Amino acid sequence: MKKLFALILALCMVFALCACGQTAAPAESAAPAESEAPAEAPAEESAAPEATGWAPDGPVTLVVAYKAGNGTDVTARILAQYAEKYVGQTIVIENVDGGSGSIGWSQIAAAEPDGMTIGFMNLPNFNSSIVKGLGTYTTDDFAAICNHVTETSLVLVRADDDRFATIDDLVAYAKENNTVASTNGAQASNHIGAQAFANSAGFKYTDLPQGNTADELTSLLGGEADWCVAKVADIAGRTDVRALAAFSTERLAEMPDVPTLGEKGYYDQWLGSSRCVVAPAGVSDEVIAFYEEAFRLTMEDPEYLEAAASFATDYKNAADTAALIQQQQEFTESLAEGFWYE
Amino acid sequence: MLETLQLMGQGFISALTWMNLLAMAGGVALGIIIGCLPGLSAAMGVALMLPLTFSMPADTGLIVLGAIYCGAIFGGSISAILIHTPGTPASAATAIEGYQMTLQGKAGKALATACWSSFWGGLLSCISLYFFAPLLAQLALKFMSAEKFWLGIFGLTIIAGVSSKSIVKGLMSGALGLIISTIGLDPIDGTKRFMFGQAFLAEGINTTCALIGLFSMSQVFILAEKEIKARAKAAKFTDKITLTRAERKKIRPTIVRSWIMGNIIGILPGAGASIACFLGYNSAKQFSKTKEEFGHGAIEGVAGSEAANNAVTGGSLIPMLTLGIPGESVTAVLMGGLIIQGLTPGPELFTKHAAMTYTFFAGFVLVQFFMLAIGTLGCRGFAQISRLSDAILIPCVTVLCVIGSYAIHRNMSDVVVMIIFGVLGYLMRKFDLNTAAVVLALILGPISEKGLRGALRVSDGDIGCLFQSPVSWVLIILSIVGIFSPFIMDKFERKVAGDESVDQAVQDETLS
Repeated sequence: MKKLFALILALCMVFALCACGQTAAPAESAAPAESEAPAEAPAEESAAPEATGWAPDGPVTLVVAYKAGNGTDVTARILAQYAEKYVGQTIVIENVDGGSGSIGWSQIAAAEPDGMTIGFMNLPNFNSSIVKGLGTYTTDDFAAICNHVTETSLVLVRADDDRFATIDDLVAYAKENNTVASTNGAQASNHIGAQAFANSAGFKYTDLPQGNTADELTSLLGGEADWCVAKVADIAGRTDVRALAAFSTERLAEMPDVPTLGEKGYYDQWLGSSRCVVAPAGVSDEVIAFYEEAFRLTMEDPEYLEAAASFATDYKNAADTAALIQQQQEFTESLAEGFWYE
Repeated sequence: MLETLQLMGQGFISALTWMNLLAMAGGVALGIIIGCLPGLSAAMGVALMLPLTFSMPADTGLIVLGAIYCGAIFGGSISAILIHTPGTPASAATAIEGYQMTLQGKAGKALATACWSSFWGGLLSCISLYFFAPLLAQLALKFMSAEKFWLGIFGLTIIAGVSSKSIVKGLMSGALGLIISTIGLDPIDGTKRFMFGQAFLAEGINTTCALIGLFSMSQVFILAEKEIKARAKAAKFTDKITLTRAERKKIRPTIVRSWIMGNIIGILPGAGASIACFLGYNSAKQFSKTKEEFGHGAIEGVAGSEAANNAVTGGSLIPMLTLGIPGESVTAVLMGGLIIQGLTPGPELFTKHAAMTYTFFAGFVLVQFFMLAIGTLGCRGFAQISRLSDAILIPCVTVLCVIGSYAIHRNMSDVVVMIIFGVLGYLMRKFDLNTAAVVLALILGPISEKGLRGALRVSDGDIGCLFQSPVSWVLIILSIVGIFSPFIMDKFERKVAGDESVDQAVQDETLS
């Protein structure tokens, strides 16, 4: 009997360790074979961008402010997997979710600025977290490295809704009647889009926050909402919704028949979401230059592009990314005054 | 139709990987161990093992949880038969005839009956999963704000009503859960509520933390306060764990009856496996040709109870997967597992994520076969485990609670929340309140709130919008039935099984 107890105790220990080990697993290497990485590192060094004078001397931590399996996590893992070749080290993804992303971003801001910890910043959710006072950080606590993914917003209606053949039909109808637009949450990205569009077209509407994009689209399809704003990736492969216009400065390559809002005389700026790579403020210029180059090479790698075919990779250099973060911050802050209805 | 058949077939193909088969075998074995340990319920077992699945692919993770669920519901019968202590409340009725059989030296036969009927109960319940789940998911598309509000209310009333001794205490527990569910950013305006400057509370109290605390940690406190006594020794038995052809034929009608009842009970929110086992037992007795055997070790009694409680499993998944309404505590935990994988319950599970969902269904079917095999072969071993002393159980469960809640975000604040809920759960159980109602209110509260405020927003404050659609009216009527269900259930149950066992079952229901 004693032996059995000992056995069960040992079993419990194993489970306990498993629980630790398993949760650490998402943080482990994004590469299929971690053990190969150190051995190959010297050989791979040549592939890494040279002459910047700095290179990581151990595994790099990449913080993602959302849980494993989330959209950002999926794209980050693909980037990390192919970037190891150019970074010359293992890239460890650490999912730090909660607090609408603010817990992860706080962690990046507080990290040692030695280049060993970098992370993903999601615009405009990051900016909203500052405006809402969820995080104690500001944009100055981060140093931009590059942009990774850009998703443009679209104005959507039901595919079989014959009231709205064009965006002008929607505007004309909305000026006469009160329309309902479902959103993915109060002042969340798609609500910002809907409001920017309505403001520019000069009509009022009722917003219906649903908390996530899946429910937002269900609300549109069920007929409770008349229209909504969502991103290109959200409607990929769907035939039950129809895009009337895009929040872009020029027509999108994947949907050339959809006009931009700007060309129809409405909101003429780009709007959507961006996922960029940042480091904590205070890292040296060499570190920025190293990662900027490493990720640029990754995003041009044919193998990466094949793996990343399902989403819109959009490389921007450090300076442009910093400007984008700043522009989105100013835009989000400007929303506080006179943008929303009271 | 052809498309669905194709999805079903593909589900089986993807479920048959080594990883998934291993997950099924491991999950079933673990579930049986948890089930046969008196003091650990199915919900606790699934909650404790939930963090293990975080890093698994969605289908494997869900299969593990489903396997633990089925295993635990069956496992409860082992200790019920051998030491006259149901391992989970769901096997309370099994103990009646099962232990009698043990006393007659027919323990092997009783275990074989339990295993065989659990297998069929579980397997047949998958039929409803395959057929009703996609249908109900279609219906879910018609659910707009007003209907979602009533859906939440319906879930709350019936749960508070059915699974509590008194409506007042049930509703009190539900109200407490609703209050706790307001913590975090409000779903409509994004206002911070009761966050006290803590960013980790922005998304509300984490349901998984809350339920590990309420179910598992509170159980540790309850166990720790009692004097630790050695459990009765499991009866030794020498007969073989098999059934003859005649015996199988004898219990066949009982299994079919129990399957139908258990399945319906599973689909209805509120009534869980503990009620199903009594109903199954009773109908077995009523329809039996050899009524005189009952009370003296009738295999039909064991079969009736065990087929019914396992038939609940497949049915109970349906409202959770399609409407996001968990009917009882195990499915509430399973829903937590689903959400952690980034999946939202609802129609998308049958369109966008159909491949994953059908793999899970196929896994659920295959799990039943593993349960039959592991159950039959391993009964003797599991019987020994059921005697495990609380002195060992308590520290093990505590460790798992802490690790489990830490693992969600790798954040100590979640552990603090878990311990707070553990203390809360302990106090609630001391006052006879219903911990399951708190967890369900925590999940349903935001759905109702969002629905009510959304509906009023669209209608510009006109309350009439809540009473327009026929679906709303059906849900309103069901909610009223839910409120009065304790009276109905009480009468019903007293008729079904002797008074003392009902009291015990109702009391244990809060745990299950």
